[in-house]
Amino acid sequence: MPKQVLSCTVNDEAAEVLVQPWDTLLDALRERMGLTGPKEGCGTGDCGACTIHFDGKPVASCLLLAMQARGHVVRTIEGLGKPGALHPVQEAFVKHGVPQCGFCIPGVVMAAAALLNENPHPTEEEIRYGIAGNLCRCTGYTKMLAAITEAAGAGAGRRS
Amino acid sequence: MSTVMKTTRDVKGIGLSIPRPDAPDKVTGQVQYVADLNPKGLLHAKLLRSPHAHAKIVRIDVSRARALPGVRAVLTAADIPQLKKKAPTRAHAVLAIDRVVFAGQPIAAVAADEVAIAEEALDLIDVQYEVLPVAADPLESMKPGAPPVAELGTEADTSEALAHGSVAGVTTEAKPAKAVNISQQARLQRGDVAKAFAESDVVIENTYRVPMVHQGYMEPHAVLAQWESSGNLTLWASTQGSFNTRSEVADVLELPENRIKVIPMECGGGFGGKIRALCEPITAVLARATNRPVRYVMTRREELEAGMPAPQVIIKMKTGVKRDGTLMALEAEAILESGAFSGAVLAVAGVFLASLYLWPNFDVKGFEVLTHKPSIAAYRAPVAPQTIFAIDSQMEQIARKLGVDSVEYRLRYLQREGDKMANNQPWLSNGGAEVLARLAEHPHWKKRAEWKASSPKGKLRGTGISLGGWLGGLQPTGATVRLNPDGSLQVLTGQVDIAGTNIALAQIAATAYGVDIDKVKITTGDTDVAPMTGLSAGSKTTYTVGVAVMQAAENARNQTLEIAAKELEASVHDLEIEDGKVVVRGVPDKGVTLASIGKKGNLYMSKVEPVLGTSHPAFSVQAPAFCAQLARIEVDPDTGEVTLHDFVVAQDVGKAINPLQIEGQMQGGAVQSLGMALTEALLYDDKAKLTNPSLLDYRKLTSADLPKIETIIVEKPAPHGPFGARGVGEPPIVPAPAAIANAIEDATGVRLTHLPLSPERIALAIAAKS
Repeated sequence: MPKQVLSCTVNDEAAEVLVQPWDTLLDALRERMGLTGPKEGCGTGDCGACTIHFDGKPVASCLLLAMQARGHVVRTIEGLGKPGALHPVQEAFVKHGVPQCGFCIPGVVMAAAALLNENPHPTEEEIRYGIAGNLCRCTGYTKMLAAITEAAGAGAGRRS
Repeated sequence: MSTVMKTTRDVKGIGLSIPRPDAPDKVTGQVQYVADLNPKGLLHAKLLRSPHAHAKIVRIDVSRARALPGVRAVLTAADIPQLKKKAPTRAHAVLAIDRVVFAGQPIAAVAADEVAIAEEALDLIDVQYEVLPVAADPLESMKPGAPPVAELGTEADTSEALAHGSVAGVTTEAKPAKAVNISQQARLQRGDVAKAFAESDVVIENTYRVPMVHQGYMEPHAVLAQWESSGNLTLWASTQGSFNTRSEVADVLELPENRIKVIPMECGGGFGGKIRALCEPITAVLARATNRPVRYVMTRREELEAGMPAPQVIIKMKTGVKRDGTLMALEAEAILESGAFSGAVLAVAGVFLASLYLWPNFDVKGFEVLTHKPSIAAYRAPVAPQTIFAIDSQMEQIARKLGVDSVEYRLRYLQREGDKMANNQPWLSNGGAEVLARLAEHPHWKKRAEWKASSPKGKLRGTGISLGGWLGGLQPTGATVRLNPDGSLQVLTGQVDIAGTNIALAQIAATAYGVDIDKVKITTGDTDVAPMTGLSAGSKTTYTVGVAVMQAAENARNQTLEIAAKELEASVHDLEIEDGKVVVRGVPDKGVTLASIGKKGNLYMSKVEPVLGTSHPAFSVQAPAFCAQLARIEVDPDTGEVTLHDFVVAQDVGKAINPLQIEGQMQGGAVQSLGMALTEALLYDDKAKLTNPSLLDYRKLTSADLPKIETIIVEKPAPHGPFGARGVGEPPIVPAPAAIANAIEDATGVRLTHLPLSPERIALAIAAKS
């Protein structure tokens, strides 16, 4: 089967890339665009490690075909913040010592950032459910809750 | 895996809560795991796996797969001359030769230009099987006449037990009797058990059962292999021990160790599951066959179906005590189901069962049993959660039957330092009693009657407590500490950082040398350049590598002071290091900067020796570490659903080198323990096929299932630990199953002995009782 051209916006820049028709969006990001921040922990939408923003909403990029992103706006962890200019959620994750192995972290950060965009002042219960689609095996989630709560207090949700 | 520490100036070293220096790279997705590597010419590997748990391979035809465009190699066992039929370990069983012994066992391997092409090639491999009878249940598999799992004459593998270095003084026997699938057995005895039971007033007998569970690391196994034309192999690995990986691959592929370089990439979780080699040998073979870099990343389904989970543990236990509580006798039979290959830490199970409390008479038998399931490996404090579930549940029931406070009862008979363990070794200094006593002071424990009484209509509330621990591992290691020309320090080890240990090691170096932590950079080197070191396992990284780093830093400090003493014409004993300078004590303006000493060590024509501190210690004294956990729960007796309201972890860490990282370990370990208690099980049908091979059906706990985990750090110094530190990683996974079972009994009056404590089990038990 011939490759197809995927045109979309990735991390604020216009992107045009050749993909296989069976490539998932996660495959396209990781293997075709070199954006390896989103991780594949299961490939079946159960673990959340591949969470990205799709038109601003958090989605499991392993559950979308790459071509479904045509004309859409995609943001990966690479487009959220950089060392030195971290997003408030990232800042709080560092400060609270959240990351251990780190594999789930890009997905959790993207889920949390999306939550705060939609709901700038979530309750603890809302945070719990906001990241319930993201499995983490190292942290027990406790420090994540504290960090996201602090980021909400710092006004993370008011950033676009 | 290099890290540079940047903080403000008001810091020193140990005892500080400092975030991991790689945290900014982790929260921005910059950290590289194996699957993120994409070298030029990369090929992707896939393995054809057996759909049957036990079958003869009659014929394999790979011709159609080889003909598929984009396929670069298709290999079967016939293509790999190093493979032998009596594979002693899973790593040696690279591809099945003529018989498969578990569903998911690799039979053929493909390397192709794209993953999708490799997958398509698997569909084109024709295999004809002759399906054989299956040993799916360990109790059946133990019996004479059960379908044999191992090839006749295969040796039992006790290297896992050795790798964990946990128990001395117990020998396990391989291959006894006529039961073909009993691969190891052990027995620990003391006193006269029959007489003691006859003299007992309260005898309680139970069978405890803990299913196979998966370690659950979020990063599946992955490896990238590439050969140089000179015959050297490089492996980029997700491993808990790069030197161990090197040795195993060298052994399997019959290569000299110095021809293999293992580069440990960031390890996305291991928990014991990434100690042993698994997919490294076959990936290396594919890379050699194609002369291209080959990457293999296991899928989650493969992880669950064909990873190396924790064993199923079945413990038949009988205890007898006097009416006044006096412990009389313990009898136990522990069956560890290790799947298709031997490798369970059998001795640890026996020692844990009979050594925690002061049983004057005991008889503990242990059997490792093979079945047609994936072979097992370590999982964070291997077999401790399973055995503590049994013994602590038993202690709680005894206390309830006697009508005494269960914490007081445990403390009355807990073995202390100097008491003889079941293997006749004395217990070493530990904080078992201290952590339990600390937790018993917690308001949640003191107010357990109020909590029970506060149950809303239709719900039942209860509180449970449990105590468990880990003996602590040992393994030789090494470290170097260099002074750089700008006065900064460079620490090198080969130790894989799977738990935030590098920041702790840097803190140890800073304190031992006498500089601030922001002057220290620590690197985990590959197997070509780093000092040889052991596994990141057994809760021993800080305890052992910490000593090496401390001694290397002290060694570097002494070299620095000697150079300064000559320059300052002062005695070494009058010198100290302050603010980046060596100064004469009491004469603060007389000094020489570390930078100038460092510079002279690398100056053309200089006669000053460069400062290179080294240490390569071996160890003989373990540091047991204990953890107590408390759960406050609410049970819905109609549905059996358990809601966790509060969970508290108290743990003895010896000395908290970095409390922030330690809390994270305690919380994460506790949640794995809770998962084992409440939801997790690999479920097999009667043909030994996994029925829940996805993370939807293999249910791990999420943030929505859990309260915040409260942590209480207790510091009872380990006599031989660096600055008194002892191991942290494993103890917190131990107590929760018993704590939850105890809380359920407190709430509902029913005692559950089979994990997980699922709503179905709880509701049925309550219904059966009423």
